[in-house]
Amino acid sequence: MDEIGAVSAAKEALAAGIDPYVAITGGLSKGMAIVSDKYETGVYFVPEILLCADAMYAAIGVLRPHLKLEKQAGSLPVIIGVIEGDIHDIGKNIVKLMLDAAGLTVHDLGNDVAVSAFVEKARELQSGIIAVSTLMSTTMAGMGRLIEALKNEGLRDSFKVMIGGGPLSASFARKIGADAYGANAMEGVRIATAWQEALR
Amino acid sequence: MTARVSPKERIGRFLSGQPTDFVPCVPLILNHSARVLGVKVSRYATDGETMGRANVAAYRRYGQDLITIFTDTCIVAEAMGTTLHFPDDDVARVKTPVVAEPGDAAKLRRVDVHTAGRLPVYLGAIRHCVSEVGDEVFVSCCIPAPFSNAAALRGTATLARDLYKNPGLAHALLEKSLEVINDMSEAIAQAGGIPVLVDPVASGSVLSRKTFEEFAMPYLKRALGKIKSLGMVPILHICGKTASIVDLMAKTGAAALSLDQIELADAVERTGGAVCLMGTVRPAETLLGGTPETVRQEAARCLASGKRNPGGFILSSGCEVPIETPPANVDALIAAARA
Repeated sequence: MDEIGAVSAAKEALAAGIDPYVAITGGLSKGMAIVSDKYETGVYFVPEILLCADAMYAAIGVLRPHLKLEKQAGSLPVIIGVIEGDIHDIGKNIVKLMLDAAGLTVHDLGNDVAVSAFVEKARELQSGIIAVSTLMSTTMAGMGRLIEALKNEGLRDSFKVMIGGGPLSASFARKIGADAYGANAMEGVRIATAWQEALR
Repeated sequence: MTARVSPKERIGRFLSGQPTDFVPCVPLILNHSARVLGVKVSRYATDGETMGRANVAAYRRYGQDLITIFTDTCIVAEAMGTTLHFPDDDVARVKTPVVAEPGDAAKLRRVDVHTAGRLPVYLGAIRHCVSEVGDEVFVSCCIPAPFSNAAALRGTATLARDLYKNPGLAHALLEKSLEVINDMSEAIAQAGGIPVLVDPVASGSVLSRKTFEEFAMPYLKRALGKIKSLGMVPILHICGKTASIVDLMAKTGAAALSLDQIELADAVERTGGAVCLMGTVRPAETLLGGTPETVRQEAARCLASGKRNPGGFILSSGCEVPIETPPANVDALIAAARA
């Protein structure tokens, strides 16, 4: 949870000649796995996760300029966002953080995201995972519209769609034709990584 | 057969520990009232008479045991300077928190609740309901508890970080919130209503037990104490998951706890029967997405567990009845309590 500590550890790693890729996968990702554990077992809650996220992103900011960019072959990009009409994005940000930490490529569209914006991004990426959330019962219907729009664009079969958030359920996911429902952030990440594995 | 018991009589008897004909049923019919009257939520949320008429219309339509006036959890923060966005037909939300920078906390005033922001909308709505149907049903009004209000003053994620990085600021915002909330409780009581505290941001889905104890509970105790001092029954609603904090909620001074994502049997055990429990029919899954039959089934499960609570039980929805809930599902919930 210590942002300053994370930044100085990242700088020390660079100074010691540690490969920044190793610093991320062997250091930060392992740290975030501990964070995930603590979240799942009810030790960490939203405030603690937010501070860990700040620390991780600050350290990545230090390491990133030194990374030799290698694209991960065959990895599914994840499009993530809160459906239109809703701005509650803390849960979405936690899922994004966990996906980042798990090494997936995440395209974050933010909150109050129009169905057309999801579709546009999907068209650009051609295949991958779409993760969409809401905390409100009034905006749930937008998720069904997203699935319909993907079908109309001929993109539905190229994307796995998962949904999450307070008022949702597995039966709602089935009803609108989503591929999965994540009851919490960690389940969402497990689903996404399982889809990733299945692809390999 | 006795004469038809009014909701006011039923709740009155219930709260004074006397036997009642049926288990009281109080679905949290809030913005859904706008649908019953046939107005958009933005109009309902900004005009006291409309809000009052909508709540009367909903009461006449459903006959629930308590009117619960409410539209959003940001209304007190708005009166204190936070700006909101009003969708045409959905609930208002925070646009710009008033305490964007820590130094902005100095700007916070103990505003006059009779004139600030939309607080008069609530007071007008209460007066309208009391004058129309106050002889047969109690009228309550839900206002945010200090922690949820502080989140709307500062932004939820920012306040969450403050808890560790600037706890002094968090406590200052909570103190300021408490002052205005207590004034509002008094104004609600004067208008003939019962103040109810709602604290969704202090949910066990968001905060650890330790954080709840440090930042939410002390202020809940004081805000509920104020309501008690007004001669009212203090009611506390916290939605989301609450198993980790429900025993603490029972020690805040609340006489009744309105709960959402928790097994009632578990809640009874954790609170030791010390307080009245309300809940927990699932709002989206069952009320919005279900049928009268699935509502009946879930209500029956809640009743079976709730009736075992020595502190009493009120059948209710876990959280707000979704705006687009089919009216037949609300009817089914109330009918389940009166079967």
